Amino acid sequence: MSEKLKQIIDKQSEQKDSVVEQLDDVVQLVGFMIGDEEYAVPILAIQEIIKPFAWTRVPQVPNYVLGVFNLRGAVIPLIDLRLKFGLQSKKQGDDTRFIVMRHGNDVAGFVIDRLTMAIRIKKENIGPAPDTVSGDDTIIEGVGKQEDKIITILKVNKLLERTF
Amino acid sequence: MDEFQEILQDFLVESFELVEKLDEDLVELESNPEDLELLNGIFRVAHTVKGASSFLNFDVLTHLTHHMEDILNKARHGDLVITPDVMDVILESIDLMKALLEKIRDTSSDEGIDVSACVARLDKISNGESPAVVEDTPAQEAEPEPEPEPQEEEEELDYDNMDPEEIEAEIERLLAQRQAEDKAKREAKLAAGEEVPSMPQPESEEEEKAEKKEEEKAEAKKAPAPTPAKKEEKPAQEAPKAAAPTKRAPATVEQTIRVDVKRLDHLMNLIGELVLAKNRLMKINEDVEERYEGEEFLEELNQVVSIVSLVTTDLQIAVMKTRMLPIGKVFNKFPRMIRDLSRELNKKIELVLAGEDTELDKSIVEEIGDPLVHIIRNSCDHGIENPEERLAKGKPEEGTISLKAYNEGNQIVIQIDDDGKGLDPEMLKQKAYEKGLITEKEVETMSDKEAFTLIFRPGFSTAASVTSVSGRGVGMDVVKTNIEKLNGIIDIDSEINVGTSIKLKIPLTLAIIQALLVGVQEEHYAIPLASVLETVRISKDEIYTVEGKSVMRLRDDVLSLVHIGDIFEVERILDASEHAYVVVLGLGTSKLGLIVDTLVGQEEIVIKSLGDYLKGIEGIAGATIRGDGGVTLIVDVVALMNMAKDVKASALTAGEEGGAAINEKTKPSDYTVMIVDDSKTDRTIMRKALEPMGVTLVEAGDGQEALNILKSGDYNFDAMLIDIEMPRMDGYTLATEIKKYNRYKNLPLIAVTSRTSKSDRMRGVESGMVEYITKPYSADYLASVVQRNVNFKAEFL
Repeated sequence: MSEKLKQIIDKQSEQKDSVVEQLDDVVQLVGFMIGDEEYAVPILAIQEIIKPFAWTRVPQVPNYVLGVFNLRGAVIPLIDLRLKFGLQSKKQGDDTRFIVMRHGNDVAGFVIDRLTMAIRIKKENIGPAPDTVSGDDTIIEGVGKQEDKIITILKVNKLLERTF
Repeated sequence: MDEFQEILQDFLVESFELVEKLDEDLVELESNPEDLELLNGIFRVAHTVKGASSFLNFDVLTHLTHHMEDILNKARHGDLVITPDVMDVILESIDLMKALLEKIRDTSSDEGIDVSACVARLDKISNGESPAVVEDTPAQEAEPEPEPEPQEEEEELDYDNMDPEEIEAEIERLLAQRQAEDKAKREAKLAAGEEVPSMPQPESEEEEKAEKKEEEKAEAKKAPAPTPAKKEEKPAQEAPKAAAPTKRAPATVEQTIRVDVKRLDHLMNLIGELVLAKNRLMKINEDVEERYEGEEFLEELNQVVSIVSLVTTDLQIAVMKTRMLPIGKVFNKFPRMIRDLSRELNKKIELVLAGEDTELDKSIVEEIGDPLVHIIRNSCDHGIENPEERLAKGKPEEGTISLKAYNEGNQIVIQIDDDGKGLDPEMLKQKAYEKGLITEKEVETMSDKEAFTLIFRPGFSTAASVTSVSGRGVGMDVVKTNIEKLNGIIDIDSEINVGTSIKLKIPLTLAIIQALLVGVQEEHYAIPLASVLETVRISKDEIYTVEGKSVMRLRDDVLSLVHIGDIFEVERILDASEHAYVVVLGLGTSKLGLIVDTLVGQEEIVIKSLGDYLKGIEGIAGATIRGDGGVTLIVDVVALMNMAKDVKASALTAGEEGGAAINEKTKPSDYTVMIVDDSKTDRTIMRKALEPMGVTLVEAGDGQEALNILKSGDYNFDAMLIDIEMPRMDGYTLATEIKKYNRYKNLPLIAVTSRTSKSDRMRGVESGMVEYITKPYSADYLASVVQRNVNFKAEFL
């Protein structure tokens, strides 16, 4: 009995190790479209993804801050990434989603055009942000290379940082 | 270690409570040095703290309190007269004691504060003024327990000089002896029919003192050898504790438990959620009532909703009450402060307190202390004159500052009055002008009352010389910001040579407030009701423009106006109606009329923060969640009043042109009609009837869809044909919704339905329908009704 138990425990710890290993070199991301570009953020930074609903405009903020909305009793800011990235605003359609991201105590909802998919990407396939935009101020964490495309990975803490 | 921490926590909580009371008692004592009751109380505090601290190994604290106790004990026996000088030293030692306690709270150690100077002074008083007292106590104690006394006394005398081993040994021996004695004594008392803990009253003065002495010694000695003390610790510690309350309030035993503030905060948050849910439930109830009028289950639902609403309100009040603290907690520190100040400033000042029992939310009690300190300091320094000056003016030599608190409606008023020299409005204006705080024109036009509020401006100080007490010009504007942070209002009144009266009006609680909801265009805002004086409905021609600012006449006053849309940059897409509402906001003496499109109503709202990302937006104090789940922003009245100064009048005139101009029709297809019906067949029938006219037709499958099309603004509709029975949103609701938009106020809505009863027709009219066509109808009839309603030009026919 104890022999068996030991085996199971060994097996489990082995699995755990391998999971850790996996976590170590694979990053899980959620990809989404803004305009024609595909972006991604780490899946762990995402609290939830919801369909668009009504929000309340807030005065005296940059145009990309659409306002605030009620997420089960919490008042959360809503930021339009199209406008934030300097694109024209677009009417929200069936594919539009709010991605609620969290970093520490900061929470905000982001409007994106369309979700693409959950991505597992190896760390070695993530390159640094291009030199022209690197540095502490950049919002870009890195560039993920996939077979046929590249994905811009965003820094969640920078997205949630107030810049006005 | 955990156990130690627990004891330490208890010790700190108890000590702070005792010390807080102490300040008040001591000042009282100074004016009443003969009051034995008071002296005993004060002595007990020093004694209790000493006992407990020695048990917990806080040597510095023990050392200090031991010497305090010495003096107090002598005073208690009448061997020492409490003069102001003695009192200064005692008060100083109490300050040190507080500092030590705070140190212990923060670092769990009492090292690092030097008490030797104070102790030396205490000793000097103790020895210098009455050197012979050392032997006094034992002599009196001789009677009840003659045998152990001498030993203990001896013990106490060389206690400090013994080396650790000796002490250890001595303690062991004494403890055993003491335990036996205690036991014997307690038994004796029980036999005499007395309860052990509440012994002080019936026993003789000497006996009581003897008790104390012993306990204290026992405790002091327990410190180095805690193990054998375990058993004795309980009675020894409890006795003084129990004795104190029984003496002060013999009859009432209050049942209380300590609760972590975090738990109360959490509870308050939950109540907040509940209030929101209640609001929502009530709104749904209203909707249901409208739709299912006369149905039986409605009554039942109504009952449940009203019970829920009632209980929620009660619950909210109950929880709020648990967070309430008497304002006396703040007032307590002022007698001491006034005493110190009057000595420092060489003035005679009496402080009269009233309404200490008035209760306030904990968070407010914490915030209110500093502003009050500033105001009272200011009254002492600038308000009350020197005794000579006062006598010369024919006033009593001693100045009076009265501090009182009372309830007034949903607010607490804290009033600070002094009978000093009062404020001189002319001087204030002059001063403010010199400092560049106001313009020359303002000097002329400013009322006295407005002039008084100048003292709350940043950078204003009326004292000719800067003293250590006040006059650095920071105090009073801090008062203002702090009070306003609490949503409070400051009202100041003064008369030269009679005195000054400052009133702070503060809401009872911060988390849940009554608010007036107003609408502008499609947006809603909540205004704290405490700042709303009144609301008036005006027509546009009542608004005048003076120097680019809108103003109106309100009874005998001229009220400056600002449109909420201008402040919050509301896009004016909808037509402004002929009438508007003015919400008159009042903040202290200043008033402002805020123009809004609609008044939605009064509601209880729960204040939520906008979070870090959006905090500090000017004019917005927070947000709340409404009954329908939407978010409504809460107006920050203070900031709004400041912003209003920079806003030019534009709103009312700007919106006017938009709507009317576009409607020039040149061909039949310029007319647009929306058909709203859930049945495809019905829509086609209507389309067939109207197509011959050549108008543009847009179809919608239900009310919600129709509303979305309207909102999108893609079309400019001239009329709508609306079916009543529809899924998602029925025709009545749709009509009501549409009428909410200024822009569509005059859009003709034509009901096309098979519902024919009179009550249906009535509802149609109520919800804003202009025509009521019953199915079946002829194509010609439908066309003629539409033509009539869109003012179809005859030449197109």
